[in-house]
Amino acid sequence: MKRIAAALMLVATCNVCWAQEDEKWQEPSKATVAYQEYREKITRPPYGLEKVSLLIKKIKDDDESSTLPQKDYLSLSLREKFTYHMIHAESYSQNCDAMPPVPESEKKIFAQLPDPFGEYSWSERQMNYFKAHRDTMVALMTESIGRSNRVGVNYKKAIVEINGKEMIPLLINTYNRDHKDKDILTLLMILMKNNEYTPFLTSASYKKLFSDAETSYRAFLNFNTANEELIIQRATTFYNGLPKKG
Amino acid sequence: MGFLKKVSILFLLVCTHTCFAQDKCGYVLVPKGQYPVGKKQHTLNPLRKVTVDSFYIAACETTNRQFAAFVAATGYVTDAEKKHDALVFEPGLREFEWDNDSSAYWRFPNGVDRGGIERKMDHPVTCISYNDALAYCEWAGVRLPTLDEWEIASRAGATTDYFFGAKNTQIDRYANIWHGADHLQADSSDGYMYTAPVGSFQPNAWGVYDIYGNVFEFCSGKVLANESPTLAHARGGSWWCSKASCSFFNSADIGRVNKRASFSNQGFRVVKKAM
Repeated sequence: MKRIAAALMLVATCNVCWAQEDEKWQEPSKATVAYQEYREKITRPPYGLEKVSLLIKKIKDDDESSTLPQKDYLSLSLREKFTYHMIHAESYSQNCDAMPPVPESEKKIFAQLPDPFGEYSWSERQMNYFKAHRDTMVALMTESIGRSNRVGVNYKKAIVEINGKEMIPLLINTYNRDHKDKDILTLLMILMKNNEYTPFLTSASYKKLFSDAETSYRAFLNFNTANEELIIQRATTFYNGLPKKG
Repeated sequence: MGFLKKVSILFLLVCTHTCFAQDKCGYVLVPKGQYPVGKKQHTLNPLRKVTVDSFYIAACETTNRQFAAFVAATGYVTDAEKKHDALVFEPGLREFEWDNDSSAYWRFPNGVDRGGIERKMDHPVTCISYNDALAYCEWAGVRLPTLDEWEIASRAGATTDYFFGAKNTQIDRYANIWHGADHLQADSSDGYMYTAPVGSFQPNAWGVYDIYGNVFEFCSGKVLANESPTLAHARGGSWWCSKASCSFFNSADIGRVNKRASFSNQGFRVVKKAM
């Protein structure tokens, strides 16, 4: 939170020096600063949170490693492992995968989700857990989202990783509570893209967000009711067309 | 034009010519002065002017040959060799996805299975961490460029995003980057899938090669005063970077990575004090 505010403050400060040359500058609004913070918040699952947090603290005290030793890891229950993975990433992110903060982000629907763990990413061991325990992941995240009415950026990334398309109705319901978290709309579009849903792949939104070789990494749609409704309507139709279990 | 400015430019030209008469990978002098850096509305690198002392910047990225000489002289063991946590790439991975390969380190930057550097001694050294780069610099009596120094050298006097203009349409002439739409299929359309020998592409107006692409180049300094002490910064993009993903092959963006992380698209160039 402090880092985002500092980044935006840095821009505002430099603007004072360059006010004459940069005539169109607008100081980042409080709404932008607050929304950036909101976007980057993770959800902390309750399962064994205290125990897992202590283990993570031990890792962070050790400058040499960011990985929980295998013995400690294996001692965790399935739910505790879920908590561990959701609040700690064991591997590194490359230089450029963090999108710099964008002015007026609260008025945009981005093509990509923000980074939940800064310079860290989930490791192979963590991704293997996601694959091996997909149904558990869906159940635990559904329970957690239902309780908090919030989908942290870590959950959003995990839903992409496990291709949690059956969570679409829950995501839409959560979004509709306050229409605040536009990254849920991003998540819906990523799920449609990753599942090669033809009506989305042939849409103007897809072209702008994901198939323009010049811009897709930082691309966004302007937030408005028409775009919001279109994304939700498409995602609902996509979900309704999925084969039903059992 | 002022007398001092004329002398500075003449000195720069003479020095550059002298360096390049022997080896295109010599040093380029950047004269003391005030330079514009940053970009309008860039939240991490806003437009401003900075003042720097004269410095020499290496025209090329540090090579495997140079790093091998350091290791031979010191017995230095890199972070990737100690921690076996290097991150490597092979076509087929999704965007921003890297594989952990415990066998990878600077001699086998994409893992033992993908071959070593025996025939790539003039390629930039990769799979080294920020800490490894600092160790090399200490041994060689040089240092990493600051974020501002790197940008000044990259711009070569330009104020646009790229030293060659506002658009990246000419990037193919100057940089080894990824030209595929994604990373699922191999891309060697510019002759190289991974690193290229340093100096394979055209330099900028000051004679600095590969300032964009080939490898991300570590810089010293912080972007934000309160950022994590575990963070390092690198600039210029790499062979992995495409227009759709990353696109950091420009003079404005600043990357960030853990100081102990070792990626096969991560390297450095050095600077030294001007006499």
